[in-house]
Amino acid sequence: MTKSNASDAQALIRSLRSAYAATPTNLKIIDLYVVFAIATAIIQVGYMGIVGSFPFNSFLSGVLSCVGTAVLAVCLRIQVNKENKEFKDLPPERAFADFVLCNLVLHLVIMNFLG
Amino acid sequence: MAKLYPAPLSAIVLVLLASKLCIPCDSFSADRLTDRRLLVLVDDLAVRSSHSRFFSSLRSRGYELDFKLADDPSLALRRYGQYLYDGLILFSPSVQRFGGSLDLAAVLDFVDAGHDLILAADSSASDLMREIATDCGGPVLFRGIGHSLNAANSLVLKVLSASAAAYSANPSAELSQPPSLTGSAISLVSIVQARNNARVLITGSLDMFSNRHEKSGNEQFVTEISKWVFHERGHLKAVNLHHHKVGETNEPTMYRINDDLEYSVEIYEWSGSSWEPYLADDVQVQFYMMSPYVLKTLSTDQKGLYSTSFKVPDVYGVFQFKVDYQKLGYTSLSLSKQIPVQPFRHNEYARFITTAFPYYGASFSNMVGFFIFTVFYLYNK
Repeated sequence: MTKSNASDAQALIRSLRSAYAATPTNLKIIDLYVVFAIATAIIQVGYMGIVGSFPFNSFLSGVLSCVGTAVLAVCLRIQVNKENKEFKDLPPERAFADFVLCNLVLHLVIMNFLG
Repeated sequence: MAKLYPAPLSAIVLVLLASKLCIPCDSFSADRLTDRRLLVLVDDLAVRSSHSRFFSSLRSRGYELDFKLADDPSLALRRYGQYLYDGLILFSPSVQRFGGSLDLAAVLDFVDAGHDLILAADSSASDLMREIATDCGGPVLFRGIGHSLNAANSLVLKVLSASAAAYSANPSAELSQPPSLTGSAISLVSIVQARNNARVLITGSLDMFSNRHEKSGNEQFVTEISKWVFHERGHLKAVNLHHHKVGETNEPTMYRINDDLEYSVEIYEWSGSSWEPYLADDVQVQFYMMSPYVLKTLSTDQKGLYSTSFKVPDVYGVFQFKVDYQKLGYTSLSLSKQIPVQPFRHNEYARFITTAFPYYGASFSNMVGFFIFTVFYLYNK
């Protein structure tokens, strides 16, 4: 039983990897960007756990910056993905323009809240 | 019991009485050194000659002595609301009631106003003497020539106590039960320094002051203790209280939290003829608001200046610089200066907080990452 579970898991991973290799490059770039943002957020949370949350507003600002960029990147990926039927009439340039404007607002808020 | 000697009025006393004008008296004032007037109440004027060495030593230190019989009908300590004397010596153990306007309440008011008192009694001590002694806070029990002190009173001190084998009893009656006052609980001479720095000396022996004991240590003992009672020894004054921020000289009206400040005060001791610098290493200052936030021992420069410096605590409010100095045998110093302490203004906080640098870094790296991402996203093939 376990042997078949192990080989099932391996087969699953192999199929996921091959499916992922088929995604278009721009989506892969977005995925890399999201991973970078989440990694920065995890580093900050780990630092806060060690040092304590003294300037709490700075901590929130830093974490929100990472989480916000991740969320906006994910939204861009959803809107730009050609396999997504819901947004098939939305031009990808429009999606990208929304992404840039929302990022500008996000970073303005972050700079104010950073202290 | 004091024997009765016929004694004519001496010329000195006549001159004193004639020159007794209505000069108002304050309590100890170093500026008017020669105006120290003492009223000496005696049972009979023979005491003046039998105790003449004590009185002449007082006179040589600058006191004017006014001798009166204790039941003299013209006795008065006050006239028109002002005190006529700086100190009182009661050498009248057997008087039942004072003459004139003097009574128990008047004597106690006199001490409450900050004046000094020497009270001597002997085995014929009257109830009036005992009452005065009790109300001054000294003895509780007054028997014969010994007395005991109220153990709960922190202001009294036994100066001379009886030996461990002594007991107090009536010598002419047979003892039917053990004496209630024995050993070193018997106090022969005791002193009180009241909270207003008035000093009272109470002793059960009028003979201690008399000329009879000139060969013993009495003369020196009595001289020194009368010096202490009349504030010639152990009298302190504190002047020139200053506080300022480190590096400045003017006294600010308020401080800010975490300021560095310096506090200084000058303390002098009266040596009998001049003010000498007081030397001690246990004067402390508190920075006090409901409880002392800072307590520091002042260091002296040996010339009377006591100073220290400390940092204002991280609490804002209205503080006091308090010096509460109560050393045995010295006048108590109670200085207090109020000063407000304000919190930081909104722009006095640190601009960048070091522990938050990772968060600053993360935010900026996200902005840079966003910019690089757009470049890559738009221009990838």
